[in-house]
Parts: sequence; C-alpha cells; structure tokens
Amino acid sequence: MLKKIVLFLAVAGVIGAGIGYYMFNKKVPSMASEKSEVTIEAAQLYQEFEADEAAASAKYVGKIVAVSGTVLEASALEDGTPKVLLDTGSDFGVSCEFDPNTKHAKTTFTPGEKLTLKGECAGINLDVQLARCVVVQ
Amino acid sequence: MKNRIVILGVLLALGFSAQAQKYFTRDARVQFNSDTPVEKIEAVNKSGTSVLDTQTGRMDWKVLIKNFLFEKALMQEHFNENYMESTKYPNATFKGSITNLQDVNFAKDGTYKVTAKGAMTIHGVEQEITVPGTLTVGGGAVKVKADFVVKPADYKIDIPGVVRDNIAKEIAVTIDASLKPMGK
Repeated sequence: MLKKIVLFLAVAGVIGAGIGYYMFNKKVPSMASEKSEVTIEAAQLYQEFEADEAAASAKYVGKIVAVSGTVLEASALEDGTPKVLLDTGSDFGVSCEFDPNTKHAKTTFTPGEKLTLKGECAGINLDVQLARCVVVQ
Repeated sequence: MKNRIVILGVLLALGFSAQAQKYFTRDARVQFNSDTPVEKIEAVNKSGTSVLDTQTGRMDWKVLIKNFLFEKALMQEHFNENYMESTKYPNATFKGSITNLQDVNFAKDGTYKVTAKGAMTIHGVEQEITVPGTLTVGGGAVKVKADFVVKPADYKIDIPGVVRDNIAKEIAVTIDASLKPMGK
C-alpha cells in the first residue's frame, strides 16, 4: 500500500514538474490561432480612445481586436517587421505591428487598400496600437 | 482677459514657429535585457513614439508597456501583471531636453554625442535621469541611439523573493529610433 502511494506521488511529481516546465517555456502563441473578441472599424476604435482613454482601455486593452480600415501608411521596420497604419480620419491612426510568431502570406500593402487585421490592443500612444497582428481573410 | 488672449497668442506663435523644427517617429525601438546566471530575459517594443524639437532640444518619448514583446508567454504575463502593473500604469515616458544642443548641427550630416536630462516615469514613479546617447543627422532624418540602465527598485517595482535571482538588479535598456520631419 505504502509503495503504491509513494509511486503515485512520484508519478504525480514528474507530471507536475513536466507541466510546470512546459508552462514556463511556453512561447507567445501565433495570433493566427487566437480568436478575436471584438470586431470594430478603425475610426470608431480611435474615437473611443480619443474621447475617454480610461473607458476605452478598460474595454479593449489586452483583448484580441479585429480592426477594419483603409491603409494610410505601410512600412517595414529595420528588422523587417511589417507595420500598417489604418486611417481614422484624424491626425493619428490605428497602428498594427505584425506578429513575429506567424508566417505572413502577405507583407506589403498599398495606401488606400482596405484591410482587416487582428491583434492585441496595447492602448493609445498617439495612435491606437495593436500588437502581434495578422491579416484576417 | 485681454492678457490671457495675448498669452494664448504668444503660445500659439511659439507653437507654430517651432513646428518646422520638430522630428517625430512612431517606430522607436526600445529593448531591454535582464541578464543573470539563472535566466536571460529580453523584450522589445517597436512602437515607441518620440518627438524632438531641434530648436529647443526638448524631447518626449513614450512606450506602451503592453507592447513589449517577449519570447515566453509566461514572462510577458508576469511582466505586465506582477511587475509593471500595466493596467494601472499603461505607459513609460521620458520628458527631457538635450543639455548640449550647441554641439549639434542639424544642418550638417554627422554623428553627435549628446546628453539628455529629464524625467523618466516608469510604473507611475518619476525619476530625474541623465542619459548619454548619439544623434546621427543624415538623409533628412535624425537617428537617436542611447544605452542606459534602469534599476527596478528605483521605480518601486517589487520582485518577489522566489524569482529575485532570476531578474537583474540593473536592466540594460537600448533605444534606437529614426525621426523624420513632422508635418511633411
């Protein structure tokens, strides 16, 4: 009986340590595998942050948001990361930095192009910023 | 009342005259490394904003804490929730000035050594800091590079005992940005 308990504890311990090790080393997942929690137009998202940052932050920050809009600027950062700025009709836009953990089918965009991107809303820093973006087909 | 209008007029005029000398980016790269024998932690934010007024030497920097990307999911979660409390303190800022602006010729291509002095706010705590860096003028842009150290303890960032050996007492921060003329 005692042997069985010890064996059980040992097995549970190994499994626990395995899960712990796995959790500890788990990579930030690809955005492509995550579901969007909110779908919104770029202009409306920006206006909500512009009108009341605290309320908009509580509503959107940390959430996976799918944003639709027209490309105002498209660029690639020095490390190659594509970045798209969606037009909001104001001085600032919705800035979408592409996910480093996803293989993107399309990485160049033209101003005027209509696009839906999903990413994690990080808040407003002049532009509303979305992190880890992928194009929504 | 009349005085106020005059003051407003002067402020507006100052604002407009300075407009032409402002450089801006929304793609500033802010990276930090915490290196200990136990663990190496690295994160990068590629969406920092910066405005530099070449007339006055004034510079403003801002990054969203939530936009620091880590390799490991759990690190990113702990960074946001336990250490930086990013819901309560969503951003980090530096508001300061270049102290040796006379050494920089924005009309002439070249690399200039500068010192910036000002208020760094992280985790809701403001500290006066002095940071050495370089400005590189060329191709219609101003490139800014700086390396400095941030001590979590200075900004009241509590590191619990169990992970105290995993997180460096001094975090190395690297800034790399290319600012372009504003409003063009």
